[in-house]
Amino acid sequence: MPLAAWLILAAGLFSIGLYGVASRRGAIGILLSVELMANAVNLIFIAFGRYRGDHLGQVFTLFAVALTVAEVAIGLALVILLHRVRRSDERVDEVRELHG
Amino acid sequence: MSLPIELALVALFVPAAMAVLLALVPPLRRTGRPAAWLSVLAATVSLGAAVWLFADQLAHPTRDLLESVAWLPHAGASMADVGLRIDGISVGMTLVVTLVAFCVQVFSLDYMRSEPDADLGRYFAYHSFFIFSMLMLVLAPNLLQLFFGWELVGLTSYLLIGFYFKKPSAAKAAVKAFWVTKLADTGLLLALLVLYSHTGGFEWTSHPGADVATLVTLLLFVAVVGKSAQFPLHVWLPDAMEGPTPVSALLHAATMVAAGVYLIVRTDPLFAQAALTREVMVYIGSFTAIFAAVIACVQTDIKKVLAYSTCSQLGYMVAALGAGSVMGGYFHLTTHAFFKALLFLGAGSVIHAVHSNEMSDMGGLWGRMKLTGTVFLVGSISLAGMPFTAGFFSKDLILESMLESGRLLPWLALLGAAFLTAFYMGRVFFLVFLGKRSEKAEHAHEGGWEMRLPLVLLAIPALLGGYFGAHFAGMWHLDYEPEWNLQAFAPSLVPILGFVAAWSMYGRGEARPAPAMLAPIARLARSGALDHFYEGVYRVLGLKLAAAVGFFDRYIVDGLINLAGYLTLTGGQRVRRLQSGNVRDYVFVVAFAIFALSAFGMLR
Amino acid sequence: MIDRIAFGIVAAALLLSALRVVTSKNLVHSVLWLGVTLASTAVAYLLLSAPFIASIQIMLYTGGIITLMLFGVMLTRRGEDLAIPNDTSEGGRALVLSLATFGLFTGAVVMTPLPLDAPSITVDTAELGRQILGPNLMAFEVLSVLLLAVMVGAIVIARRRDASVDHTAPGLRLDTDPSSEDGSAS
Repeated sequence: MPLAAWLILAAGLFSIGLYGVASRRGAIGILLSVELMANAVNLIFIAFGRYRGDHLGQVFTLFAVALTVAEVAIGLALVILLHRVRRSDERVDEVRELHG
Repeated sequence: MSLPIELALVALFVPAAMAVLLALVPPLRRTGRPAAWLSVLAATVSLGAAVWLFADQLAHPTRDLLESVAWLPHAGASMADVGLRIDGISVGMTLVVTLVAFCVQVFSLDYMRSEPDADLGRYFAYHSFFIFSMLMLVLAPNLLQLFFGWELVGLTSYLLIGFYFKKPSAAKAAVKAFWVTKLADTGLLLALLVLYSHTGGFEWTSHPGADVATLVTLLLFVAVVGKSAQFPLHVWLPDAMEGPTPVSALLHAATMVAAGVYLIVRTDPLFAQAALTREVMVYIGSFTAIFAAVIACVQTDIKKVLAYSTCSQLGYMVAALGAGSVMGGYFHLTTHAFFKALLFLGAGSVIHAVHSNEMSDMGGLWGRMKLTGTVFLVGSISLAGMPFTAGFFSKDLILESMLESGRLLPWLALLGAAFLTAFYMGRVFFLVFLGKRSEKAEHAHEGGWEMRLPLVLLAIPALLGGYFGAHFAGMWHLDYEPEWNLQAFAPSLVPILGFVAAWSMYGRGEARPAPAMLAPIARLARSGALDHFYEGVYRVLGLKLAAAVGFFDRYIVDGLINLAGYLTLTGGQRVRRLQSGNVRDYVFVVAFAIFALSAFGMLR
Repeated sequence: MIDRIAFGIVAAALLLSALRVVTSKNLVHSVLWLGVTLASTAVAYLLLSAPFIASIQIMLYTGGIITLMLFGVMLTRRGEDLAIPNDTSEGGRALVLSLATFGLFTGAVVMTPLPLDAPSITVDTAELGRQILGPNLMAFEVLSVLLLAVMVGAIVIARRRDASVDHTAPGLRLDTDPSSEDGSAS
C-alpha cells in the first residue's frame, strides 16, 4: 500500500472530525468530533512511522494517546460544570459573555 | 518727511481716524449732532490740508512725488507697495474730493436734521470713512492700492445708499449697486492678475506689449463701465437715488462714480498702448451719453433726472479719454464734480422744502427760494455748457478732441447729448421754479445756513472753474490752449437751442407729457427692460450654476466624506459581528485561519 | 493483494463510522459509533505493524474514552428520554471548511514524493519500550506530571460547591481569627 493512501484516509477522517467540530451544537458532540481528529493524527503518526522503518511513530502515538485521554477528562469535567450552571450543555452558543 | 507727503497724510488719515473713532465708540456716535460736528471738523481739516497741498503743487507744477513702503516683500523685492503719489493729477482730484465732501457734510447738518441721533452718527461716520477711501484711491501709487480704495468706496456706497435700510427699496438698491459694481470689479481684479503675471508688479507705467496692454485695459474698462455707470451696467445708478440726497451729490455725482474716469486718467500710459480699448471706450461712452440723456428727458423724479444726467456726462468723459484726450476727460471730471454736486444739493434743498422728490409736487418755487433757484440755474447752464461757464470749457474740449480724432458718429452723438442736456435741465428748472405752485410748494422755504453755504461755495467753481483750466494744465503735464475763435463758440449754439426748446415746451412751468418721439423711449425706460434681462441672465446662468455647484458640493464632495464615514460605521458593524461571543464561531475562525495559512504556505 | 483488501475494508469502516458520529441525531448513537471508529483504528494499527499501540488503543480509547463519554452523557441527562437530541447548525460553512481542508491535505500528499512500499520491519515491542525510556524519557516524565495535573484539575473543576462550608485552609481565611477553630500550625 502506498503511504499516500494511508495519509489520504487520515486526511478524510480529520476532515470529517473538523466538520463535526464546526457543526455540532452540544459540547459532548464537539468532544466526540475532536476525538475523531485526534485519531486521524495518531493514524498519520503510525503510518509515517511504519514507512520510516523505526519506532518513532509509535512513541509519538503513545504520548498522543495519553494526552488525548487527559484532554477528554478535562473536557468532560467542563461539560459537567456547564450542565450544573446552565442546566444543559446543549446550546454552547448561549455561552456568549464575550459578545462584542 | 516732506511737506506734501505730510499734507497728504493729514488729508487721508484725519477723516479715517474720525471714522474709526465714531465706529468704535458707540456712545460718542449716538450723540447725534456732536458726532456730526466732529465729522465736519475732520472734513474741514482734510480740506485745509488739500488746499495747502494744491497751492504747494502749483508752486512746483511739474513735481511728481512717490513715497511708498514695501508691503508684501517677496524674494528680496517687494510684491506690492503702499504709499502716496503726489502729482498734479492726484492733488487736483484730492482738492475736488475734499471740497465737495466738506460741502456735502455741512449741507447734511441741516438736511439730515430730523434723523434720530444714532442714525445721524452712523451717517457721518460713513462720510468720514468715504473721504478716507476715496483719497486712498486718488493718492494711490499703483493699481493694487487703487483697487483697495476702489473696493472701499464701493462698500461706502452700499452703506450710504442703504442708509435707510429699513426701507425695502433702499435696501434693494444698495444691494443692486454693490452687485453690479462688484460684477464689474472682477474685471479690475483680472486686470491686476494679468498685469502682475506679465510684469511682476502693479505699476501702470509698465510696457508689457500691445496685446497684454489691450487685455489689461479692456478688463480695467469693464470695471469702469460698472463703477461709472456706463451702458450696459448703468442700471444701478438710478436706484442709488434711494440714498439721502447729499450722498447722491457726493458719491453718485462728483466723486465715486468719477473714480472710473480717474482710473483711466491715471493709467493713461497703459491705455496709450491699447488702441482697441480706446476705440471701444469712444463708442460706449458716446452711446451712453446720448442714451442716458434721452432717458433723463422723461423722468419725473428730480433726482432721477440728475442721475441719468450723471450717466450721460460720465459717458462724455469716457468718450473723451477714448479719443485720446486725457485733459478733456480729467477737466470735465473736475468741472462736473462741482456743478453736478451743486445741482444735487440744490435739488436737495428743494426736496427738503416740499418733502417730495417728484417734480409735480414742485413748481413756482422761484418766489420762495431765490438762492436755491439761482444756484440751480448756475449749475444747469454750466452743465449744459453755456458759454463762459466751467462746463463750456470742458465740454467744448471734449467735442473738439472727438472731432479732431475723426470720429464723426460719436461726435454727433455727443452733440445730440449736449442738446438734450440743455433740454432736460431747462425742463427741470422751468417745472420746479416757474409756473404755479403746487400744494406742497406753498410752505416751501430756504434751508438753514448749513444748506445755503455749500450751495454758494460750490456755485463759484461751477461757474468760474473753466478759466483756471489753462492755468492748471501745466500742472497736469497737458497741453491746453483755449482758443478764442468762432470755432470754439460754435458748439454752444446747441445748448442754447436746447434751452429754447425746453422753454417752448415747459416755459409756463406746467408739466406736459413727453414729446411724441420720446414717448416710446419713456416707456422703455420705465419698463426696466434691462433689469429684467439681467435678472433673467442671473436666473439662467447664476442660479443654475449655483445649483450645479451646490449639487456637486453636497453630493459629491460631501458625499465622499459621508461615504467614508458610512463605510467606517458599517464596516465596523460588520467586523463587530466577528465578536459574536459564540465559542463555535471562534473555533471556526481558528480552524479557517489554520487552513488559510497552511494553504498559503503550501502554495508558495 | 490481501493488504489492499484489508486496507479497503478498514478504510470503509473508518469513514463510514466517522460520518455516523458527526451526523447522528442521537447522542448515545454518536458515542457508540465513535467506539466503532476507534476500534477500526486499532485494526488499522495492526495493519501497520503496531500491535502494542493497537492494544493501547483498544484499552484506553474504546474502553476508557467511550465509557467516560457515556458517563458524561448520562450524568448530564438525568431524568430525560434516552433519545437525546444532538443538533447541528451552521452545517454549510462547516462543510465548506472540511472539504477545503481535505482538499488541502490531499493536495499536499499528492504533490510530495512518498514511498510506495513499506520497508520490512520486525515487530519488536521491547524496542519500543527502550525507545520510550531511553531517548524520550523526558517526555515520558513530563507526561506523568501532566496526567497528575489533569486529574487534580478535573476534580477541581467538576466538584460540587457547597456554599455553607468554607473549605479554605484555616490559616488562609481572612475573616476569622487564625488562633480559633482548630489550632493547627500555619
